[in-house]
Amino acid sequence: MKKLIQKLTDTYSPSGYEEAIRDVILAEIKELAEDIRVDALGNIIAKKGKHGKRVMVAAHMDEIGLIATHIDESGFVYFTSVGGSNPRYLPGGHVRFVNGVLGVIGSERISKANVVQPIDKLFVDVGATSAAECPVQVGDMAAFVHPNVQMGGRLVAKSLDDRIGVAVAIETMRRLKSGPNEVFFVFSVQEELGTRGAIVSAYGIDPEIGIGLDVSHTGDTPNSIRRELALGAGPAIMVKDSRMLYDPKVVAWMEGTAKKAKIPVQREVLVGGSTDARAIQVTRLGVPTGGLAIPCRYIHSPSEMIDYEDVENAVKLLTALLSAPIEL
Amino acid sequence: MPDIFPFLKSLVSVSGLSGYETPVTELIEARWRPLVDEISLSRLGSVHGIKKGAGAKKRPSILLAAHMDAIGMMVTQIDDGFLRITSIGGLDARVLPSQPVLVHATGSGGPQDLPAVILLPPAKLLPSGEADGIVAISDLLVDVGLLPSKVASLVRIGDLISFGTEAVEISGESLIGHSLDNRASVAAVTLCLQELSSRTHSWDIWAVATVREEIDMSGAGTSTFQLLPDLTIAIDVTFGKGPGANDWRTFALGKGITLGFGPNNHPFLHNRFKEIAEELEIPYATEIMPTSSGTDGMIMQTTAEGVPNIVLGIPLRYMHSPVEMVMLNDIQRVGRLLAEFVIGLDIDFMNTITWDE
Repeated sequence: MKKLIQKLTDTYSPSGYEEAIRDVILAEIKELAEDIRVDALGNIIAKKGKHGKRVMVAAHMDEIGLIATHIDESGFVYFTSVGGSNPRYLPGGHVRFVNGVLGVIGSERISKANVVQPIDKLFVDVGATSAAECPVQVGDMAAFVHPNVQMGGRLVAKSLDDRIGVAVAIETMRRLKSGPNEVFFVFSVQEELGTRGAIVSAYGIDPEIGIGLDVSHTGDTPNSIRRELALGAGPAIMVKDSRMLYDPKVVAWMEGTAKKAKIPVQREVLVGGSTDARAIQVTRLGVPTGGLAIPCRYIHSPSEMIDYEDVENAVKLLTALLSAPIEL
Repeated sequence: MPDIFPFLKSLVSVSGLSGYETPVTELIEARWRPLVDEISLSRLGSVHGIKKGAGAKKRPSILLAAHMDAIGMMVTQIDDGFLRITSIGGLDARVLPSQPVLVHATGSGGPQDLPAVILLPPAKLLPSGEADGIVAISDLLVDVGLLPSKVASLVRIGDLISFGTEAVEISGESLIGHSLDNRASVAAVTLCLQELSSRTHSWDIWAVATVREEIDMSGAGTSTFQLLPDLTIAIDVTFGKGPGANDWRTFALGKGITLGFGPNNHPFLHNRFKEIAEELEIPYATEIMPTSSGTDGMIMQTTAEGVPNIVLGIPLRYMHSPVEMVMLNDIQRVGRLLAEFVIGLDIDFMNTITWDE
């Protein structure tokens, strides 16, 4: 799975420009599902199984990024954020535009040392010497550049939010025998712009049960915000986030399955953030929906960190959940 | 009108927080079952009761929505025997310190309710500056009065916490308690159903107790999508007049109900309700809702192809606190007005709705 994760995090696909990652995923899953299609917004919908409950499993394939807003006369590219790029993490970073151009992020003179430089005082330097020579146009999008670095049992890379969820879904498709449920694996677009891909794919699929796969913030770093979630203690079963309450019946089903299969899990109450799961839950007549999250440090920075054990346990749990008939 | 207070008191004596409405769902189902033709739950848990009309098949239908969920708290962390919390819905942090609460524990001891109290940590433990102002919910603690090891085994992350204040009835006229937002409206819909049991009406009437209004109104949205009514009415509480709350957004308790006016309310429905209220001599005030009504009506109006909607309000003091207050006569007025409105709906009412007023 490490190779797969590397392939996924080495691909640049900010929200709305998911073509590159879509091609990588389609190549990976072409033998793993009975029916694969791409919908009007670009979501991949891969179906496995013909009978039983209609289950939608969603992992978003887009990543946060930047978009060029204007090029100054010296060829510096000013930008704004696409999704939740945080100005604190930006200066000094490397980016890659969708057209392949590389750049580094610089900052205008800082007037107050203790204030984070706002995003409109930052720019990308692509090595151009004039506007005419600049290989970037207004509207071009970029994503972070960061090597995929292994540190013992842990991995640091950009876009682990949510390529790690994508990896869990693909690996589960590999291990899951065509079973007693009709499972729709969705690799969704534009999650970072308001779960826009999940909204339409859930409407199209009309599932009976939903599962969102994403990352969640840990509280295991020095003087961090107060939270229980820790790397390496198991994937998180979502109970609440800032926009939704996960369905108690689905939470109980996930916990019961984990207990039976002796898979370590953590319960998660996320304050600040939400995921594709919320879009699935409110679709049509309503869909009982749960969430499985990989604990992750430094979310929305270029250096997101996860633990491989959590990933492996998430695949085991998801496979166990989907392998048996579901009665909530 | 029959006395609705005992039922309403039972509704505000259980938890039923958003997403976890089952305790209150069971009470509502039991009370509504004899009053409707069929009753069922939506996929998200809203109660759907239908009272079928006397008109020919393919009758139009109206959806009366009162949300049954309540605001509350959830455990985010267990810190040396004390619980850290976050809010479910919009809690007023100013009123939380010293409140009695119930922790609905689901740990090793199995499901059980632990009485507890919200405590205000000493100033030196609070972030700088906060000790002088309102303390954020994330900095408050809950004390269940047990040894840390016992707390750690009994309580889990994600366990619910609801207000532990008991409902108080005053002279048979007023009620004080938590969750009167919006169980007072559930009581009003119940009165409407009781009235309908001895009257005929052409339309199908869906009485719906919705889930999750305090989070995202997803109960009302999904029920409207499922039942596809021709009209919707959101019944909810509105801001009561009181000390320091006297402007145009507030309404006196016991002096009448409110009829919503503004983009979330169809003007034709507003006028129809006004006519009926005047005919029956039910006192009312027009509640101006310039943008959002902040009720289930917001989402019902824009579901599927769109539905004409109106919001009816019951004045309530101290909203989103554990001591919300309503008056019985306002609840009765809403129940009666709802009943007379739906009874008066002709089979071709939809053809008479116009925008030109």
